[in-house]
Amino acid sequence: MTSISLYVDKKSIVHDVDFLTKLIYCCVFIVAPIITGAVILGTFSFLVSLILIISAGALKKLMPIAALSLFVLLSVIIIQSAFIQGYHDVLFTIGPVHFYREGLIHASSIVVRFLDILLAFSLIVLTTHPADMVETLQRKGLSHRIGYVILSVFQIIPQMAQTMKTISDAQRSRGLETEGNIFIRAKAFLPLIGPVVINSLIGTRERAMALEARAFSAEVKHTYFRDEPVYRYKTPVRLILLLLLIVSIAWRLL
Amino acid sequence: MSKIIVKSLKYKYPLTEALALNGLTFQIERGEFIGIIGRNGAGKSTLCAALSGLVPHFFKGAYGGSILIDGINVKESKLSDIARKVGIVFQNPFTQMTGAKDSVTEELAFGMENLAIPKTEMVRRIDDALRLLEIENLRDKNPFELSGGQMQRVAIASILVMLPEVIVLDEPTSQLDPQGTEEVFKAIKRLSNQGMTIIMVEHKTEKIAEYADRVMLLDQGQIVAFDPPAKLFSLSNLEERGVRPPVFTRVAKGLDIHDQVGLYPVTLESTVNEVQKVYESH
Ligand SMILES: Nc1ncnc2c1ncn2[C@@H]1O[C@H](COP(=O)(O)OP(=O)(O)O)[C@@H](O)[C@H]1O
Ligand SMILES: [Mg+2]
Repeated sequence: MTSISLYVDKKSIVHDVDFLTKLIYCCVFIVAPIITGAVILGTFSFLVSLILIISAGALKKLMPIAALSLFVLLSVIIIQSAFIQGYHDVLFTIGPVHFYREGLIHASSIVVRFLDILLAFSLIVLTTHPADMVETLQRKGLSHRIGYVILSVFQIIPQMAQTMKTISDAQRSRGLETEGNIFIRAKAFLPLIGPVVINSLIGTRERAMALEARAFSAEVKHTYFRDEPVYRYKTPVRLILLLLLIVSIAWRLL
Repeated sequence: MSKIIVKSLKYKYPLTEALALNGLTFQIERGEFIGIIGRNGAGKSTLCAALSGLVPHFFKGAYGGSILIDGINVKESKLSDIARKVGIVFQNPFTQMTGAKDSVTEELAFGMENLAIPKTEMVRRIDDALRLLEIENLRDKNPFELSGGQMQRVAIASILVMLPEVIVLDEPTSQLDPQGTEEVFKAIKRLSNQGMTIIMVEHKTEKIAEYADRVMLLDQGQIVAFDPPAKLFSLSNLEERGVRPPVFTRVAKGLDIHDQVGLYPVTLESTVNEVQKVYESH
């Protein structure tokens, strides 16, 4: 099944921790390094998240996210170390471009922070079932309309992509150029938009009607078919996280 | 008292001139199987929407007259309350999947979650619906991985678990292949045998003739006729109304084979009967 959810369905200690605790983890591990201002702590947080992701068996799914962010990081490093004015200490030179030591240090602290945030969020997304995330929030009072939108996006977008492909195959079989340079493809793409947009607009209205037929706007407190998963380690993990936060504040103050 | 009582029902979509429903008055009894036929634009889908409360609660516009279902006035009731009385199934199975659930059982649970049905009751109703529609083997599948016929039966099941007393189906097989169509018809037949009131828009008149107790012919938002299949398909000007009678009826009309009161046969069985009578009399 094509779904854009990144959830990795496995059993692990990380999977057994509830969504809210993971959210708290995410906040603490992003905030603590910023409070202390220590790059070393950022590196530590990043490594902890990485180890947890590996222990949850989700490293493979992390790769596409990592590959995407690599591009961002590389450009940060290059811009910071080569093109920012005011640095003096040249580390090395490629062609006409000088790379500065101060810039590289600055860039590396940005990179660490970025990776820290990225991995903390990935940890949540990779190890929590989307429905569990949304239902946790719904039980805490999130509107079920918003919950529905979040969940349906995971499946309906891939479905729209599928429709797009079906239509583009159909157009190609009627001789429309859908390959070649960017202009040829743009020209082939435009007539596609019409059918896809109309299709999805009609589809959206029909789906809205079908939802209403299933009492979507009933104003009662919902019940849930999925059982609330039995989570473990909730209290100890939260205590450790709290302790970490206190320590990092103390570190800053002392 | 009749299950459904419709009086002088009129309806006009917003920003349009013509009445989509123009003064409908009729009654439907508990457990009846009603077929609705008529050309494109006749008002069939609009009538389905009115019976299920989507008109006027989802589609606004001008509304006159009344629909009473089980004593409840559709216009005065909330959609979520009407949904417990009347379920509606649409053409496109794909758009009837919520897209927010990744197994058939969870998909079926959606409507019941909205109505705050307790979990144990959900499980019971889901099991019943899966069995009735013969899709027990699909329970853990992702709804989007199913064939059209399977998906449409899941759509019907997802309505069934809300325990409506009436099910409205708007061309439920028009987007399915022959096998899917057969599966869905069999499923609807079983619902009808269980005593459910069924209202179905369908172009395949052979199927209507076989299943329906009465057939409503609509044209320009009005009822042209509302009769048992044999009487309705014996009308002479059907093709002008955009309706093709069942193939048996067309053959019988061609050969002028009819019963004592002048009605043409509409199903395979009745055609064979009438033809036999003609043979024997010679
Ligand atoms: N959403 C809408 N807005 C405006 N007019 C509509 C809408 N849906 C249908 N109509 C019009 O109402 C009339 C009846 O349509 P419909 O009930 O869909 O016919 P049928 O299902 O018999 O083909 C048609 O003239 C159609 O153009
Ligand atoms: Mg229609």
